[in-house]
Amino acid sequence: MMDRKDQNVKGMNRRTFIKVSGAAGLGLSLTSFGVPTLLRAEPAPIKIGSVQPATGPLAMIGQGQRRGNLLAAEYINSMGGIKSMDGAKLKLLLGDSESKPEVGRQEADRLIKEGAVMLTGPFQSGVAMAIATLCEQRQVPFVMDVAALDAITRKGYKYTFRVFITAKGLVGGAVKYLKMVTKEKKVMPKRAVVTNTADAFGKGMSGGFIKFLGKSGLPIEIVERIQYPLGIHDLSAEVARIKAAKPDIIFPVSRPGDSVILTRELYKQRVELMGIFCPGSPGWYEPEVIKDLGDLILYVLINVPWINPSSPVYKQANKAFLKAYGKYLDTNSAYAYTGVLVLADALERAGSTKPEALLKALHKTYYKDPPVLGGPVQFNERGDNIGAMTGLIQVQPDPDPLKRVKIVAPKEFAQSDKIVFPAPQLWERG
Amino acid sequence: MNADLALQLGIQGLLTGGIYGLIGLGLSLIFGVMGVINFAHGQMIVMGMYVSFWILTLFGIDPYLSLMVVAAVIFALGYLVQSTIVNRIIDYPEAMQVVPLVSLGLILENMALLFWGPDHRSPETALGLDAIRVGSATIDVSRLMAFGLAILFTLCIFLFLKKSNLGKSIRAAADNRTGAILVGIKVNRINNISFALGAATTGAAGALLLPLMPVTPHLGHDFTLIAFVVVILGGMGNLLGALFGGLILGLAESLSALWLPATMKHLVSFGILVVIMLFKPHGLFGGKR
Repeated sequence: MMDRKDQNVKGMNRRTFIKVSGAAGLGLSLTSFGVPTLLRAEPAPIKIGSVQPATGPLAMIGQGQRRGNLLAAEYINSMGGIKSMDGAKLKLLLGDSESKPEVGRQEADRLIKEGAVMLTGPFQSGVAMAIATLCEQRQVPFVMDVAALDAITRKGYKYTFRVFITAKGLVGGAVKYLKMVTKEKKVMPKRAVVTNTADAFGKGMSGGFIKFLGKSGLPIEIVERIQYPLGIHDLSAEVARIKAAKPDIIFPVSRPGDSVILTRELYKQRVELMGIFCPGSPGWYEPEVIKDLGDLILYVLINVPWINPSSPVYKQANKAFLKAYGKYLDTNSAYAYTGVLVLADALERAGSTKPEALLKALHKTYYKDPPVLGGPVQFNERGDNIGAMTGLIQVQPDPDPLKRVKIVAPKEFAQSDKIVFPAPQLWERG
Repeated sequence: MNADLALQLGIQGLLTGGIYGLIGLGLSLIFGVMGVINFAHGQMIVMGMYVSFWILTLFGIDPYLSLMVVAAVIFALGYLVQSTIVNRIIDYPEAMQVVPLVSLGLILENMALLFWGPDHRSPETALGLDAIRVGSATIDVSRLMAFGLAILFTLCIFLFLKKSNLGKSIRAAADNRTGAILVGIKVNRINNISFALGAATTGAAGALLLPLMPVTPHLGHDFTLIAFVVVILGGMGNLLGALFGGLILGLAESLSALWLPATMKHLVSFGILVVIMLFKPHGLFGGKR
């Protein structure tokens, strides 16, 4: 082993080594400032942050959303990137909210620190609230692909935009279609039960629906409202209470897991109903749910901001989605897809990643042919999409389970001209 | 109060309680023998659900028929975990045992996400929709099956520990490890078998739960939590205690629906836990101290 004396003979010990190498490193880095960069092959990618509930109780939807975001970015890149910025490619930075608001905010913060110039996501209204506040502080435009709670865009935030419909629009659509169905079929349910998951969206949505229904003039009485935690595993006690309330119709605001438990439990406990009418929530149209519930899912009516199957953008996206993931592009993934298209469109027109330029471009958005029902995407002063609308869909028999979901209203988009209501009882379906 | 509703809720609570007991059984067994708390318990149940899900979708064999196969697969998993991980940490302080087992839970959870995706899967099973009607009440057949088998499993394991030679060795090793080594019991092997046996009950629980609820990779935490409440309620390490703890919890949660919204279910279960901890700190039936 070398002793201190030997080191001094060579003229360098540990301390001088650190000093010398530090100085050398500093010198090198300083000189590199003055050296012109060589010709670049392509411009640096534009980073977009996507925060979705990729794990946790909403992972099923969150993964679909993330895939929608990714596929849209891939599509934009395959078409030559953002042309006004020398064909810069989009690079999606992925964040996982774990279905929790506080984690969603942390993840959004991380993505902004990693250089995201805009954010999209996050499916849950509670998470959206947390991210919207953050984006306002950090001055990063936040284009929500899905999140319905009205309050998110009622705070006067400058940087928040919403491609999805508002809860108010959703509820309005539900009552409109309920009136249409009862008038057309000349039947009127008298007693109703509302069920909902007790998260921000579930409470807000079902509360809004109950209020709106009360003002609608329809003679439907809500005899019971049942709330349960997100990710519940057993609804037998709740369905026993539903049965005791003797409703004619159920209005569930659900998520994929509980919709399956609810329907099976309604079957087992033989709850007699005219039908299930979902005022607007997931859990009734996802390919897995349709496959797993078999005939029990038939005739459920769902008011939902749905896909537009005749849109060329949808056709293209659906084909790519089917190829990549083996299932159709459902409405949430289609909205996630639209979110990134709208972002890319704003970048294209802004020609810059500066927040002011992006805000200006987002306010002037007129995205003509979105893959979802409704008119062109345009934002009002609050940042809500005035083109968003809902459709009424019904699950109807079809040998191909992937084609069971049919649009029944509005007429101009309808895929089936008959609506089945009242539906046969769950246990009378062979 | 609506008498029909109360009866219905009582029946459901009892049946759900049996299932809770089954969920807690493995945790109690492993703790009782080795004093190790298996934090990957819930994820092992989820693995059991996925294995029976796989057998059902690939070969069309119903969970009730594949029950033993599923239990055997998770038995093997448990054996592997004990021999590679837990035997090395068995003498460490409890706080240090937490980390490897929590990590194992996370690994299992994310493996499930990788293999089966995030979707809620709930395939139709043979008895999944059957129910027996008695007067105004409905008895769910798949819940009844799970309830009956839960009691059967608990009794079998109880008798196995009391009567069989292997069971006696397990109890000897649990009682006095050094003494057991001295009389020639291979304690590590006994530990492997005990952990694997506990794991096998979680596998069986998974198979029995598949007809009752959609499976997702993230279910595990909830199961672990239920198992903890059940086991602490009945007394840590006391097998029959776990069963009774489950029954009390199931009944209380179900009957609470008469007065309280479902969002308050956890308030009921944890409320009971706190009260029992105050008056019987070692659980209702006195567990390992």
